[in-house]
Amino acid sequence: MSTLWRILWRVPMLLFLAAIVFLVLRVLPADPMGMLLPPSATPADVKALTEALGLDKPIPMQFGIWLGHALHGDLGRTMQSGQAVTPLILKALPVTLQLIFCGLVLGVIFGIGGGLLAFRYRGTRIERAVEVINSISISVPEFLWAILLILGVGIGLQWLPFLGQLDANLTVQPVTGFLLIDAIVAGDLAAWWSGVKHLALPSFALSLGIAPPLMRILHSSLLEAYTEDYIAAARLRGLSENRILVRHALKNAALPTVSMLGIQASTVIGGTLLMETIFGFPGIGSLMVNAIGANDLPMIQGLALTYAVAVQAVNMATDAALLLLNPRLRTP
Amino acid sequence: MSNLSLSAQTPFRRALGEPSVLIGATLLLLLVALAVFAPWLAPHGPNEQDLLSTLLPPAWAHGGDRSFPLGTDALGQCILSRLIYSTRVTVIIALTAPLGAALLGCALALIAGYRGGRIEWAILRMVDLWMSFPAIVLALVLMVALSPGLLNVIIAIILVDWTRFCRVIRADVVVLRRKDYVAAARITGASHWQVVMKDIVPGITPTLVSLISLEMGISVVAESILSFVGMSVEPHVPTWGVMIADGLKSVFSSPWGLIAPVACTVLTVLATTCLGDGLRRTSDPRLFNRSGS
Repeated sequence: MSTLWRILWRVPMLLFLAAIVFLVLRVLPADPMGMLLPPSATPADVKALTEALGLDKPIPMQFGIWLGHALHGDLGRTMQSGQAVTPLILKALPVTLQLIFCGLVLGVIFGIGGGLLAFRYRGTRIERAVEVINSISISVPEFLWAILLILGVGIGLQWLPFLGQLDANLTVQPVTGFLLIDAIVAGDLAAWWSGVKHLALPSFALSLGIAPPLMRILHSSLLEAYTEDYIAAARLRGLSENRILVRHALKNAALPTVSMLGIQASTVIGGTLLMETIFGFPGIGSLMVNAIGANDLPMIQGLALTYAVAVQAVNMATDAALLLLNPRLRTP
Repeated sequence: MSNLSLSAQTPFRRALGEPSVLIGATLLLLLVALAVFAPWLAPHGPNEQDLLSTLLPPAWAHGGDRSFPLGTDALGQCILSRLIYSTRVTVIIALTAPLGAALLGCALALIAGYRGGRIEWAILRMVDLWMSFPAIVLALVLMVALSPGLLNVIIAIILVDWTRFCRVIRADVVVLRRKDYVAAARITGASHWQVVMKDIVPGITPTLVSLISLEMGISVVAESILSFVGMSVEPHVPTWGVMIADGLKSVFSSPWGLIAPVACTVLTVLATTCLGDGLRRTSDPRLFNRSGS
């Protein structure tokens, strides 16, 4: 029951998050009027714009108005160009989602693969090697990994590109916004391959942040699962070691691993902001960095909310996965 | 017996016997020395531009200049000098932000863990709320609100990272609160304040010390990330993050401007990890609990 409650709890949490962002940005010392109006603006102009933007109303009321619009999908207009915020975010979002997806998939593959490998060959050099790689990748944050990868693989070995989503001479007509899908839709294999190559380094850097904790927790939960009676029973029934590992132990060890993945959701999603900035991807992270440079409040607010929603969505998904995986959580 | 001999040594002595603590501490002390003596060590001023010698390679490489040991950046600024001056921001951040985050996090953890009940519920929900925001997004939003500057960077890091301390320390406090000696102290008439200060705080200190040293690395990276996206200290102050951003822009013509600050940041982070791991090993809370009960 508590899991279901936790899923429901995320709704008021989102409201709180939105309120926090709103409040933090309203104590801003910078004056948005100064940026919006030319230096020759009269006090009357300032007053008119303040009223037009609703900045003269009390803060709770401003929040109410903003929230009402946000619930209808309207996040206001940017202060830089006057364009509506929502379509700009929606246009950039697929780039970020694609990066999150690739980073997560790689991270899970490395984490689970490493954990299984270290466990299957426990007590051997392979286990030691996996643990050493693990400690190295965990002790350097992904921001620095990204730069190290650029230096090593991008510039030193010149194996992979590290700027933008595609080679400069290629273009893909956006349909879904997800570059890899669009390239397939267009039947352009060269562009697809170029997209994959450009995605490789940022996704790998992201995965280095996720994989080590996953590997560690899977390794220790497998060790714990193997002390249980059902493993001995399975062995007595003559099942092979591999079958015991995958069908019996892994199923039980998966639970803490999935919760760990949920905890890391915010790390991965925050990580994309840096990856996009470093690798020049036009996702919501780049949008955020631009908006922050220009003190563009509606944009910053909208993007912060988008990030919060993304984290909550991943958390909800992991909660749901836990509910499916663990029958004990389902019984009231 | 082994516990007895362990507790006979002071924690400080024991920590110094651990190689990783020594390595980490030495590197960090070196960093502090660089920061303090920067004007005497650096061959040039941090913002001194020589537009005739931009993007020079290091002195040992072909085309290098003896007066710029690590070469120059796109503006002809001496990379070595900027590296050395940048340690000032790094050291200040590493010394203040973790302490601030620890103070705020521990205070809330002690209140939550010791008092329990509704106030604990509220504090834990606050931690949940905070952690469900990507740290970098929260830090950026705070920097927008606070405007650039060293003090504001420290405040932003504290306001983002206190949850790390709060969550871990609260779990410790909850365990410690149920100890017999806490009940005994209460029965003998100690006030809540005395119990917390004399019986609980010493119990959380080992965890706290290793958390703080790990947070040193985290806050250094956090600052360099904020610098990298241009939301940290004032633009004229050199930091490794700014150098990384500049180096990345001219990486095709000269990678040294990128390699040098990245190497420094990685080394600093590894030093704090070393120190934190070593301290945790020499002051393992489980050992303390065993000898305490």
